[in-house]
Amino acid sequence: MAFSGHRRRAFSAVALTASLALVLASCAETENIDGGGDGGDSGDGGSIAIGTTDVVTSLDPAGSYDNGSFSVQNQVYPFLMNTPYGSPDVEPDIAESAEFTEPTQYTVTLKEGLTFANGNELTSSDVKFTFDRQLEIADPNGPSSLLYNLDSVETPDEQTVVFNLKSEDDQTFPQILSSPVGPIVDEDVFSPTELTPSEDIVEGDAFAGQYAITDYTENELIRYEAFEDYQGLLDAAETDVITAQYFTEETQLKLAVQEGDIDLAFRNLSPTDLGDLREDENVTVHDGPGGEIRYMVFDFNTQPFGAETEDADEEQALAVRQAAADLLDREALSEEIYQGTYTPLYSYVPEGLTGAAEPLLEMYGDGEGGPDAEAAASKLEEAGIETPVELNLQYSPDHYGNSSDEEYAMIESQLESDGLFEVNLQSTLWDTYNAERVEGVYPAYQLGWFPDYSDADNYLSPFFLEENFLVNGYSNQEVNDLILEQASTPDEAEREEMITQAQELVAEDLSTLPYLQGAQVAVSANDIEGVTLDASFKFRYASLTR
Amino acid sequence: MTIADTATPPTAAAGKTSGGGGLGRYILVRFLLIIPTVFILVTLVFFLMRVVGDPISASVGGRLTPDQLNARLAEAGYDRPVLVQYFEYIGQIFTGDFGRTLTDNREISEILVTYGTGTLELVLYSLVVALVVGIPLGRFAAYRRDQIPDALLRIFAILCYATPVFFAALLLKLVFSVWLGWFPLGGRASTSTQLVLDRISGSTGINIIDALRTGRWDLISDVLAHAVLPAVALGLLTAGVFLRLVRTNLIGTLSMDYVDAARSRGVREGRLLRKHAYKPALIPIITVMGMQIALMLGGAILTETAFGWRGLGFQLAQYLGARDFVAVQGIVALLAVIVALTNFAVDVLAALIDPRVRY
Amino acid sequence: MSVPTDANSTVPEPVEGSVAEADPLVTGEARQREPRWKRLPVIWQLRRSTGLQRGMLIAGMVLCAVFLIAAVFAPLIAPYGFNQLSDAGGNFPRQGAPSAQFWWGTTVGGYDVFSRVVWGAQTAVLTVVLAVALSIFLGIALGLVSGYLGGWLDRILVTIADAIYAFPSLLLAIVVSIMISGGESGFISGILAAAISITVVFVPQYFRVVRAETVRLKAEPFVESARVLGASTPRILSRHVLRNATRSLPLIITLNASEAILTLAGLGFLGFGINPTAASEWGYDLNRAISDVAGGIWWTGVFPGAAIVLLVLGITLVGESLNDLSDPRLRIRRRPKRVPRRTATAMKGAA
Repeated sequence: MAFSGHRRRAFSAVALTASLALVLASCAETENIDGGGDGGDSGDGGSIAIGTTDVVTSLDPAGSYDNGSFSVQNQVYPFLMNTPYGSPDVEPDIAESAEFTEPTQYTVTLKEGLTFANGNELTSSDVKFTFDRQLEIADPNGPSSLLYNLDSVETPDEQTVVFNLKSEDDQTFPQILSSPVGPIVDEDVFSPTELTPSEDIVEGDAFAGQYAITDYTENELIRYEAFEDYQGLLDAAETDVITAQYFTEETQLKLAVQEGDIDLAFRNLSPTDLGDLREDENVTVHDGPGGEIRYMVFDFNTQPFGAETEDADEEQALAVRQAAADLLDREALSEEIYQGTYTPLYSYVPEGLTGAAEPLLEMYGDGEGGPDAEAAASKLEEAGIETPVELNLQYSPDHYGNSSDEEYAMIESQLESDGLFEVNLQSTLWDTYNAERVEGVYPAYQLGWFPDYSDADNYLSPFFLEENFLVNGYSNQEVNDLILEQASTPDEAEREEMITQAQELVAEDLSTLPYLQGAQVAVSANDIEGVTLDASFKFRYASLTR
Repeated sequence: MTIADTATPPTAAAGKTSGGGGLGRYILVRFLLIIPTVFILVTLVFFLMRVVGDPISASVGGRLTPDQLNARLAEAGYDRPVLVQYFEYIGQIFTGDFGRTLTDNREISEILVTYGTGTLELVLYSLVVALVVGIPLGRFAAYRRDQIPDALLRIFAILCYATPVFFAALLLKLVFSVWLGWFPLGGRASTSTQLVLDRISGSTGINIIDALRTGRWDLISDVLAHAVLPAVALGLLTAGVFLRLVRTNLIGTLSMDYVDAARSRGVREGRLLRKHAYKPALIPIITVMGMQIALMLGGAILTETAFGWRGLGFQLAQYLGARDFVAVQGIVALLAVIVALTNFAVDVLAALIDPRVRY
Repeated sequence: MSVPTDANSTVPEPVEGSVAEADPLVTGEARQREPRWKRLPVIWQLRRSTGLQRGMLIAGMVLCAVFLIAAVFAPLIAPYGFNQLSDAGGNFPRQGAPSAQFWWGTTVGGYDVFSRVVWGAQTAVLTVVLAVALSIFLGIALGLVSGYLGGWLDRILVTIADAIYAFPSLLLAIVVSIMISGGESGFISGILAAAISITVVFVPQYFRVVRAETVRLKAEPFVESARVLGASTPRILSRHVLRNATRSLPLIITLNASEAILTLAGLGFLGFGINPTAASEWGYDLNRAISDVAGGIWWTGVFPGAAIVLLVLGITLVGESLNDLSDPRLRIRRRPKRVPRRTATAMKGAA
């Protein structure tokens, strides 16, 4: 009885909504609502639904330098050089040939008759346009810095592109052409001087990869259709239509693949959910090597016994780093915290890449990958260090995923076992963290790395050259020379040898202590085939079939 | 969010300045006061955001040398004095240009429109939940004043307030999505639905309206199923406020003289409650409802984040994480304008209803 | 997050001429007959309460007491440390279900949920105390100065307070906390950051009440005469303002306290809180529990969440009961004969 008034009110509210709906519905009738027919995306076998939690910043290659954007760009733009399925090494993609014609001239010949999905011809001038605009725009969020060695681009004819390089015989240049800076764009659609909004790109249909995008709602939904005139290195798309749904939460992604709302989930599933999915019979978990690595950096100036400390001693500082390397239990980190989404890493160049070696496996711990507290204790004792060694260890809780908290809590307890270290663990949000680590405030700290391209050089040059982005005070002339030399050594075997050697030298010095390698993990419905997770670290939708 | 903790609108300054003027003057002064409020907020956000970091270091700080990083910062102009950047930004705003986001290069105004509709939809759903739950329960509590049902309802109201939205979200998801499987975990619609809705010509961005226009029940039910849990989580938060408000005001009006008079004429309590006390008790609710809408916008940040509901709040959290200050400034400015306008409307309404508010 | 109260009664503007027991004269006299301890704010109201109101007040006080005890004696109550990952029996399981060894199970990080919840009370209580103390101090100081001096300073402060009022408080808290801690999520810096950011959000509320009271009192004739007699006006004002504000301050304080807890949890939930090895914090634990939900693991989220809800419930119950007891319209009347005559008259006048 006390509710009668409310009922009336609620009814009028409903009535209002309904009448509003009717009005709107009546205007909608006159409009053409497409999508009703071809929008049904399941059942006809010609389509596969993919889910991800990656975030896309931009469809314009000049304005993005992140995984989420690059993984979309990989499907829809052609490259001059690209990695075939199953290999980390690059081959010509939409190019007939690509080679050094002079030490500082890299000449690429395009295939004949290339077009974009909008019908525009793809010629050498598009290629020149692509790289010129990267350098011209040089967006702060973009990848243009990868073109550090590019001086200018020439186009002698419609099919030929000549890259004039600054330094000679740059062996990484072909790799760079396959990197986030390399997608070839349509000069008729993209702006030469500023970033082009994603809507304009989709509207202009400026795609020439295995797929073209037909519908695009940023970070919600992308609908791909196979691009039939793709003539590159890779096979034509197996499945006509791919929809990619962008989830905001890992849990949603997990439930979606488990309940069959999507056919495949790729990046990122939380370790917990993945452990759960591995036991689910209705889905298949695919593992492959990943390019991401996690490592600990030592600041040579401020670490215990570092160059700027009161009791500076190079030998003792080295002993501290080596003891830490002895104590790490990578298996436990990988299994207990990451459920295998990260695998133990004993080298600087991760598994799967040409030149990968595992120098740290034999050098430290029990020689089989496990920790060895006695070895650590004796190293410290030999160097005349009193235990426990006090170590300030820093990590960032917001940049390398939620599990960093657990990861470093565990590393703390591993280092402290047997009382060799007294770890003071602290976490700092990324902004401050990044500024302070460069200033040398942190004696030892967490970092991660995702490669720009699948080449060993990308795991060495940025870190161990005299001038590196770590600025941790490490310098070893021999390592420096080796790294510079391998970069311009055309002979592959010789180059690989140098890369191995450089890694061994660094492993002795322990400028950084690598310990985990990210695995690529995809979870699919059981009837999905062709999931290719290889060392190119590019996940292609085109090989998927049902 | 404390905006609506007091129903007494920020009239302190307004009251002073309006002096003996009439209603029109009061409204004008009150309206003009929106400008400094929004201005202060934008300024505050601007400076606070500069202190907490920049979008470039946030995205590529871990892979460039300090020199490269500084070069990029210089290129973007972030190395200039903050005041210079501030005046530049203010100048831009005055020309109506909110700029483009730094991280994903989109027009701020486009973002406000695209995601504003999502937030609007969520807030409307929640308001319905809040009213449908809050008002009848509040009446019931007043009717059974100081009896067990009243006490239980009041505790329920406090629980509504005491439960953080993200915990409510966790519980709702656990029970209704994971265990019972009735509703989806989050998002605004499933992929196939969203695909159809986006392709409608003249799409409004408000999913339920678009779905109704197609007239397809599968779409409508899909959109509604996605809305249930977020609307309940955010709606309950406000339902508690309405419940309390209705109860207190009904009790207040029930003790008024004219109600007493009716009572002495032999009118029964139930009828007293329905006929005599109810309407006057609703007036304060109308004023507070305005505030609650403003408040819900704040609550929407957590709700949208918890349910992956792509609205302004969700985007705000994302841009905040990426330290995209242009985007954060734009969104906060819009929220500030909406809040200020709502407060203004509430003040005017209050002044119209009760002339004593104007000093 | 708002407070489920209509503002008129929650944060009462010190309305001119409102009397009831808040009138210093009446309360003063009535109280003077009681022993000192019985005149303490909460106890005074407890003794005056009756029936359901008394029940709610007591329930609130019990809840608060439980958490206070948990906070103070956390080291004795909690079976493990908040960041303990192993004991003599080996490493703790991760996401272990509740068992004899781990009453409420373990988290994804391998911490004991029960211990984390108990230790979390400590963090919460510390933050609340700090936040409330800071807000009161700043709010009263600013309110007095602003109300007393008036003029352009007053206008500016009022406008700023209104602007802050209109600001999404959680956003403000996030930004302020990043500024204060510099992103470092240690125990002290985390608590300080949360407390100060809550202060920034709450100062306007105290400010408003105290300022209004000051403005009113400044015009009173007795202030003028006191000034003539040579007493300093600020001193007089502060004494009278404080005495008068005691009626509404306890309410704001409980609001402030609950808001502090919710903000702390919100910060922790969004990842701007304290790292788990430095202290236990419920919001953080809830954040980590989100990804457990899909696997049906409920114990990692439900317990810390319930702790937040119960503590806020306790504080709010106390606050609301105090509010009702000071609002004659809402107070349950005792039987007439037991009400002192004087108070009864005052009540009637107020209603």
